[in-house]
Amino acid sequence: MGYSLSVSQADTVLHELQRDYRIYAPKRFPKQGRYSDTDIIRYAEVNSFADIVWDIKSDYPAKEVITPIQQAIFYFTEDEYRASKVKSKPILLLARPCDINAQRIQARIYAGNGGYDDLYYSRIRELVKFAVMDCNGGDDTCFCVSMGSNRTDDYALALKFSEDGVLVQVVDEDLVSYFEGMPQVDYTHTFVEENELKVTVPDLSDKNVRKALKTHPVWQEYNSRCISCGACTVACSTCTCFTTRDVIYGDNPEVGERRRVTASCQIAGFDQMAGQKEFRSTAAERMRYKVLHKFHDYKARFGQEHMCVGCGRCTRRCPELISISATVNKVSAAVDEIRAALNR
Amino acid sequence: MNQDINIKKVRLNCYRQSKVPGEFMLQMRVPGGTVDAKYLSYVEYIAKTWGDGNFHFGTRQTFDITGISYENIPAVNEYLETYIKEVDAQLCNVDMDTVAHEPHPWDPKEGYPTIGARNITACIGNYHCICGNCNTFELARKIEPIIFPSHYHIKINIAGCPNDCNKAHLCDFGIIGVARMTYHPERCIACGACVRACQHGATRVLSANPAIGKVEKDPCCCVGCGECVRVCPTSAWTRQETKFYRVILGGRTGRQTPRTGKMFLNWATEDVILGVLKNWQKFSAWVMDYKPEYLHGGHLIDRAGYKKFKEIILDGVKLNPECLVAEDIFWHETEYRSNFNVKPLSMHHTAGPKG
Repeated sequence: MGYSLSVSQADTVLHELQRDYRIYAPKRFPKQGRYSDTDIIRYAEVNSFADIVWDIKSDYPAKEVITPIQQAIFYFTEDEYRASKVKSKPILLLARPCDINAQRIQARIYAGNGGYDDLYYSRIRELVKFAVMDCNGGDDTCFCVSMGSNRTDDYALALKFSEDGVLVQVVDEDLVSYFEGMPQVDYTHTFVEENELKVTVPDLSDKNVRKALKTHPVWQEYNSRCISCGACTVACSTCTCFTTRDVIYGDNPEVGERRRVTASCQIAGFDQMAGQKEFRSTAAERMRYKVLHKFHDYKARFGQEHMCVGCGRCTRRCPELISISATVNKVSAAVDEIRAALNR
Repeated sequence: MNQDINIKKVRLNCYRQSKVPGEFMLQMRVPGGTVDAKYLSYVEYIAKTWGDGNFHFGTRQTFDITGISYENIPAVNEYLETYIKEVDAQLCNVDMDTVAHEPHPWDPKEGYPTIGARNITACIGNYHCICGNCNTFELARKIEPIIFPSHYHIKINIAGCPNDCNKAHLCDFGIIGVARMTYHPERCIACGACVRACQHGATRVLSANPAIGKVEKDPCCCVGCGECVRVCPTSAWTRQETKFYRVILGGRTGRQTPRTGKMFLNWATEDVILGVLKNWQKFSAWVMDYKPEYLHGGHLIDRAGYKKFKEIILDGVKLNPECLVAEDIFWHETEYRSNFNVKPLSMHHTAGPKG
């Protein structure tokens, strides 16, 4: 079923949907950007069609709705505790294919990984239906096509926005009733087939190549360029790392809560062990870890696909202007060099 | 060389006397230090047609052109008409037919009507800079019609952030763009980047509280630089939408008693800044008994005393709730001559209307 909605009709449908769904979409937060008089766009609950930022990419990913930067996991009082609760109202999450595919990738880590389902992930994830947002190839940091994450079939609605309103394809039969009386049109969603930016993922199947890459000078520049702030992993659609932190209420250490808080492999101390041992103590080593995790290790562990969906948010958020696509292309060049040397 | 030139009159017209008798240096106002680059062709034309071909960056961000002969001043003034009209009258909304807000017809062929209030300087501010907290030249363009044309002297420097690259601390009325921050604890991952940035580059007002896994702030001593916002990887620190300013008062250089300015206002809004500056003429006129002298603002404050200054300058100004005002200011001067201020009573300056 397809519909063509004006802005006011879109608002009507949105308000109808709000009876049964919390609607999350990219929203503009004016002047809250890193630099003065710049905005940020991040996911938040929207209450009107005008709240939805559809023409540019959000700074932060859709994952924040499902795995917030911080959440309470349980509350404790002396020897008693109880799990935190979440609102049971379902969520309609407006996202582009990159963010929707990112959830499949995150799910492999949170759900079923090691034979264990993460309650705090699943209990929100199962409330979520996606409304895929039309994407015309994004900006010059996007490379979803290179990563094969430009298409998805995991959506209840498909939305093509314009200044005048929105074209809707209703896939989920349960949602048809919310569009009652709205003007029908034929609309079938299509996906972007080419980005301006193309990335060549290096072939790291050879263990000897990987060993040589570990110590290759290609990583060295990040010791002076990367400041290990972690903005890239926070902005990443697929990064899942978190830590837990106990918050003590007032002066009684027996009462408080345990929170799950986003962590970053790029921030010093992430991998610190007992005895202060760190596996990766330099910015270059941490960068290598991240890049190889996104473009080799995850796929080696879970098969099927790379972790990176090519959303380009890490590039956009990096305050030091480090581009992930440029980095991967440099690594590819290094791998070619290594392979040539090994075959000599 | 035998010339009969009233150099004070020429100076008032924004031409500075050269060591070469009969030659002058034109100073073109560039409020806020930023204008359309097309005006560089005006500079080039004046320099090549009437000047010695050289161009100097004025220390107060004026376009300075040296080697202009006295007899060419009328021709230069005529050529300046477009520049003055476009930059001061149109861009900055200056009423050129006034002096100190009193009616005073301006002849557009006669160049600048007064050198009085000096060119407002500014760093590039948040138009470009990653540190800036405000648009400095837009503020300068709002201030220009308040202080110009006027024979009363004031030097205003605008800095986009407390880094103060533009030396707001060394002028009569220095304005520094500051930010008030909002902390979003739900976005904080306690990485410590803001704590380190504040410790390294600002006033050490942030500290990590391990009991709550959050950052705590001593708001009293926050300098408002916004570095915490800049380094935060999660947008847990954001600037408030309202722009705030700090005013550093009474700084100066000079042969007698140079000194760094001191904080007069903190967390003032733009309306407060403009309101205060609207009282500047009134204060200057009162101190000098309504007869402008070649004296900069800081000296006028010395003569009147800070408390009198505060009384007149804040008259009718509605302060925003966050705004703090110095109850008193104690400047520290460099006295090139010991006990510089100790002298016979008859040599003391006075302030206020006489008789």
